[in-house]
This record gives sequence, structure tokens and C-alpha cells, in this order.
Amino acid sequence: MAELTELTSAVAAGKRVDTIRITQELLAAGHSPQLIVEQGLVPGMAIVGDQFKRNEIFVPEMLIAARAMKEALKLLEPLLVAAGIKPKYTVIIGTVQGDLHDIGKNLVSMMWRGSGFAVVDLGTNVSPERYLAAAQEHKAHLVGLSALLTTTMPAMKETVRVLKAASLPNLKVVVGGAPITQQFADEIGADGYAADAGTAVELATRLLESAA
Amino acid sequence: MNARTAALLAQLAQRPLLCDGATGTQLQGLGLAPGACGELWNTQFPERVRSVHRRYFEAGADLLTTNTFGGTACVLESHGVAGRVHELSYAAARLAREIAGERAWVLGDMGPFGGMLEPLGETPVETVAAAFREQAEALLAGGADAILVETMSDPAEAAVAVRAAKAAGADLVVATFTFQKTTVGYRTMMGTTAAAAVAAALEAGADIVGANCGTDLSLPDYELLTAELVAAADGKPVIVQPNAGSPKLVDGQVSYAESAAEFAESAPRFLAAGARIVGGCCGSTPAHIAAIAARLTST
Repeated sequence: MAELTELTSAVAAGKRVDTIRITQELLAAGHSPQLIVEQGLVPGMAIVGDQFKRNEIFVPEMLIAARAMKEALKLLEPLLVAAGIKPKYTVIIGTVQGDLHDIGKNLVSMMWRGSGFAVVDLGTNVSPERYLAAAQEHKAHLVGLSALLTTTMPAMKETVRVLKAASLPNLKVVVGGAPITQQFADEIGADGYAADAGTAVELATRLLESAA
Repeated sequence: MNARTAALLAQLAQRPLLCDGATGTQLQGLGLAPGACGELWNTQFPERVRSVHRRYFEAGADLLTTNTFGGTACVLESHGVAGRVHELSYAAARLAREIAGERAWVLGDMGPFGGMLEPLGETPVETVAAAFREQAEALLAGGADAILVETMSDPAEAAVAVRAAKAAGADLVVATFTFQKTTVGYRTMMGTTAAAAVAAALEAGADIVGANCGTDLSLPDYELLTAELVAAADGKPVIVQPNAGSPKLVDGQVSYAESAAEFAESAPRFLAAGARIVGGCCGSTPAHIAAIAARLTST
């Protein structure tokens, strides 16, 4: 019989066919879809995030692992929905106003999905008001802001200001992107900064669990 | 090969050449809104684009880069103007050509298409190849002396762009990659080493290779990176265009750490490491380029 640890290894290695097969076997053996996600897939993507952070793997390997995870989720999500199981945390992500770059944002979005969060991706060129409206509508626990252009760093600052001014209970705001630094994140009052998509998972998990 | 491109190569054999610096931030200084489509200014505000080229020309740049970084149909589509590739790139090359005259040369600029190529991503290679070819043809028709494929992370995309430029008729193609500092050395976002990136560009037919921009790369980092690029370039000329330090937000304005003087100090070190063309990327200004020019003529 397939083990959850096998699923974890298959996802981390980006083995799509194995991931699908093991997921089916685990379901057939009576494991709950929630358990398969939480103890099979999420740890697999955590390994990927960790390896990425340590420069042991790069974007291609991360994309391949995420694709394997997606295939497993295709099988599991309808079952989770049918059972009325919702992700514990809802997070909003987008690239700030004036910035149309989305590769980094997409990587973080993918890794957060792989962490079992419900992710609402607002796309690029997102105004402060749209972030706020989405955070309110989805009762989000965390908002992630991305910027690639140095010239849109002021837009990031303004977005943090608008989100913080709304005083939504327990809403965390995190930032990232090539020109962003911890110092900048501190200056604009963000709750956290992640240098890469692997660190973004750790950061979000730490902030969400300490707030919960 | 056309005479002007041949002259460029002849000059390069005799002396190091100076490339210009950042275009986008210069245009923003003239009123371009952050995130707005700068390529539209090639027809909307040609005098402003010309003025940026003129400032770099007067600073002593030998190579002027067209204002077409996001000029492929793939990128213009995000601004709703995918149908204007030829018009905008042609106009851009004409503007740079007017300023370059007989003393300088025009690099027709092509930046990344903005997504991920198949099989890793969703975009077919053929779509991207056609987009680069369309842009390269327009740049060459407008008077570009060479095509600059820049800020590449994926060696496969760089190869597609270089081949497209050659197919469009470019006699001279420059390919530069963007590296970041990692625990395993300088790598592109895709994990590509300088050696592998250079090899992919050369294999596709690039004539000059190098690096521009970058994340967490200090000027001393760029010196080490230059040596790696030169070692991989197999005798082909190497170009380096670092950022002027890391950006900081001061009183709501973005500013860069490296002064023109510090920036210029590093230029002779890049040349000593084997680079043949130096210039600047994000945060660099005509003052930075003028400082390099002064530094190079004094040595």
C-alpha cells in the first residue's frame, strides 16, 4: 500500500505520473483527501520551497513540482469541496499598481497553493483599493504584494498604508520582489519580507500561525 | 555585413566601447508614469526619447540602445497595443539613429517576452520566435546597427531571440543575461550558470555576450562575473552593464546607492577582467556614463 511519505517524495521530485498514481492509491486505501493534502502534498512542496531557498534547485524544478502537485489537487479538490472542507487560511496576492510583471508573483502564488492556502490571485497592476476590497470580500488572513520595477516601490508603500489604515483584524501584509529588501519592508510598515518563493511559504506560515 | 556594423567591429577590436545606461528611469524623469508603456513614447513624444539618447551620446556613449525593451507583441499585448510592434520599434530605431550619426552605433533592444516558454511554461516557442523576429525586423529597418537581446534568464528564450534576430537579417547580435548571487555562485533565475548561458547564446549565433542588471550583485561581484563570462565566451567580446547599486526609497523617490564616481571606478576593473564593452543598467544615468568615459580616456 502507498504511503503518504511516498507522495511527499514524488511531489518534491516533480514526478507527475507517480504523484497521480500514489494519490489514487491513497484514496482507494481510505485516506481522507484532507490528510493526503496536509500530510502528503504540503510537506512535498515544503521540501521544494526549502531547496529553492537554499539554491539547491531553481525555477524550472519548482515549476515541475508544482505541476505534479496540481495534478494531485485536481483529484482531491472536488472531494474536499464535496466534504465541505475549506482551507484554513485565505491569502490574497498581486503585483502592485503600475507593475505588469508576474513571474515572481506567480511562483509565490503557486507555492502558497502548495502550502494548502486558498489563494486569490488578483493579477498585475493592482490598485491599493482592489487589494483592500479583495481582503474584505474574502476575509483574507494575509495579503502579499509583489513588485519588480524599482519605480513601483512607492505604489507598494501606498498599498501597505491603505491596508494598514483599514485596520482589518489580524490581516498580515507581506512584500517581495527583486528590488525589495527587509529594510524597505520595515520602512513601509509591512509585516514581513521574503526574498524568494520558498521563504514566502515559511514567512506566511509563521505569521498566520502566530496570529491564529 | 553593412559598412557601419563592420566599423563597429573594427572599433571594438581597437578599443573598449562604452554603452549607454538606463532608458526607462530617464523617461520617467521626463514624465513617463511607472508601469506605463514607454515604447509608445517613440511615436507620441519622440523629442523626449531623442533627448535621452542625446544625453548619453554627449556623455560619450559609443552605443545607444533603442527604447524598445518591451517592444515584442507579447509585452505590448499587456498594454493593448500588440498591433503596433513594427511602428514603435521602427520609430525607436530611427530616433536613436538620428542621434548616433556617424560617431556612435545603435543597438536595437529586445527584452524578455514576459512569460515562460514551453515546456516549463505555457507559451509555445513558435509564438515567441515570431514575436522576436517581427521586432528585430522593425529595428533593423529603422536603422539599428546590431540587435541587443537583453536581461535574459532562460537560455532557451535567449537562443530563440538570437536566432530570430539573425533570421531577421542582423549582422551582429549581442546577448546579455541577468544573474543573481546564490550560494552556488552567479546564476540566472532559471539556475543557469554564466558558462551555460554564454554557451547557449553562442550556439544560437550571438556575436557578443555578457550580463546586465542583476539581483544582489555589487560592483565587485560584477568583476568576478565578468571573469566567468570572459572564460566562457571563447574569444568573443564580452559586455557588462551593471546596475548602479541596489535601489532605496528616499522620501518617496527611488534612488541608487552607487554614485557616478564609484560606478566609474569599477569600469577599468571590468576591462582588466576581459570585458570589451561597459555600460549601465538600472539606476545609471548620463552622469554615470560620462564618468566612465572620463575614467577610460584618462587611463
